[in-house]
Amino acid sequence: MMETDILVIGAGPAGSTAAKHAAINGARVIVIDKKSEIGSPKRCAEGVSKEGLEKLGIEPSPRWVTKEATGVRMVSPNGTAVNLTEEKVNLPEAGYILERKIFDKHMAMEAGRAGAKIMVKTLATGMRREKDQVVVNTEHMGRELEIKAKIVIAADGPESRVGRWAGLKTALKPKNMESCAQFEMAGVDMAEPDCIEFHFGSVAPGGYAWIFPKGNDIANVGLGVLTTITDKSAYQHLLEFVESNPATQNAQPVELNIGGDPVGGLLKKMVADNVLVTGDAASMVNPLTGGGIISGMLGGRIAGQVAAQAVADGDYSHENLKIYEKLCEEELGESFQKYLKAKEYLLSLSDKELDTIAEAFKNSDFETINTKEMVRKLVKISPKALLKLGKLF
Amino acid sequence: MIVKEWCMYCGECAGVCPRNLIEVREISLNFNEKYCKDCNICVQVCPVQALEKRDD
Repeated sequence: MMETDILVIGAGPAGSTAAKHAAINGARVIVIDKKSEIGSPKRCAEGVSKEGLEKLGIEPSPRWVTKEATGVRMVSPNGTAVNLTEEKVNLPEAGYILERKIFDKHMAMEAGRAGAKIMVKTLATGMRREKDQVVVNTEHMGRELEIKAKIVIAADGPESRVGRWAGLKTALKPKNMESCAQFEMAGVDMAEPDCIEFHFGSVAPGGYAWIFPKGNDIANVGLGVLTTITDKSAYQHLLEFVESNPATQNAQPVELNIGGDPVGGLLKKMVADNVLVTGDAASMVNPLTGGGIISGMLGGRIAGQVAAQAVADGDYSHENLKIYEKLCEEELGESFQKYLKAKEYLLSLSDKELDTIAEAFKNSDFETINTKEMVRKLVKISPKALLKLGKLF
Repeated sequence: MIVKEWCMYCGECAGVCPRNLIEVREISLNFNEKYCKDCNICVQVCPVQALEKRDD
């Protein structure tokens, strides 16, 4: 049996960040990932904010930044576009489009350099408590291996099985899980190649479609839907979108990505005795945009720090770990509440309403109007915005 | 459960399974069918319709 202070399950950005910070703070750390290649396949549109990377102290590298996006283009069902630029509007997912396959490895390497031991192709299959510690069963290349740890950080993604082994309710209802499909394509002809692009309405019921530029004519073209309100699969919606959208009609896919995106807002209970849940597994995803790289890493950093402190205290109990929930709520939960409201409003709009709003805003000078004026203008054409968004601004 | 050849092991099914019965490996899915209550949520959320309930 192997022994460690902290075992991180899953080497995505959240898990690797947790591992790095746990190691920096003096704990012995093992990270396991079930895949043979960390970061691949990606399940992601790959957008992160500059502000977010800065907050995490991560210097952007040309190795994993494919493109800097300076604006956002939002397109209504009839094709009316509203363009926002980052100078005057705070755009949560605008910034860089990453190459996740390289970025995720970079983050894992950083964890390794900080002292964490990394094991790839190692799957967690179960967990049991032994005195005041836990033993995780794993499989590595056909071999069964037990790892005993004082604390487990569950960063196992939207599957989120590990938290449930610890008795936490991390399973999501389908209405809180976007079903996503994406092509990485070449030959994409974007109207604004420096903007990330969002398409709203019946093109993606319960979600939206996106085109995120990756330089030249390359882009991630994808969408998320709620399967509770459409009979078609995300993939079928994607094929229709690609065929009908002028930017992608002549584009060719070189990769297909699929996956679930937990958009129900931060889980309330993310802590059990010996266990912290982080990243997608804890729904650390902006419920409006579905973006979760930065928020998962912010949560992961807190998880690593709290876990290392608990190891130093010699106390791995729920009681001693629950500060994690409070810190995550402050860092992420409060803003997620706002985004949930905004999402609720957005999803309540019909195609016609979306077109009317886009028409009213398409020539707005966003560099000179503030949020309050924007909401006032919105309420004029869409009175229910007052009810749904009024209290937020 | 029948897992179609085009399953990409994204794990969305596992995330919504209310009984935590689906193990997602790098290139296979394991269903613990003994405890399955046929809620069908996993079939419903799959982005590529790769799951089909076995008739028995």
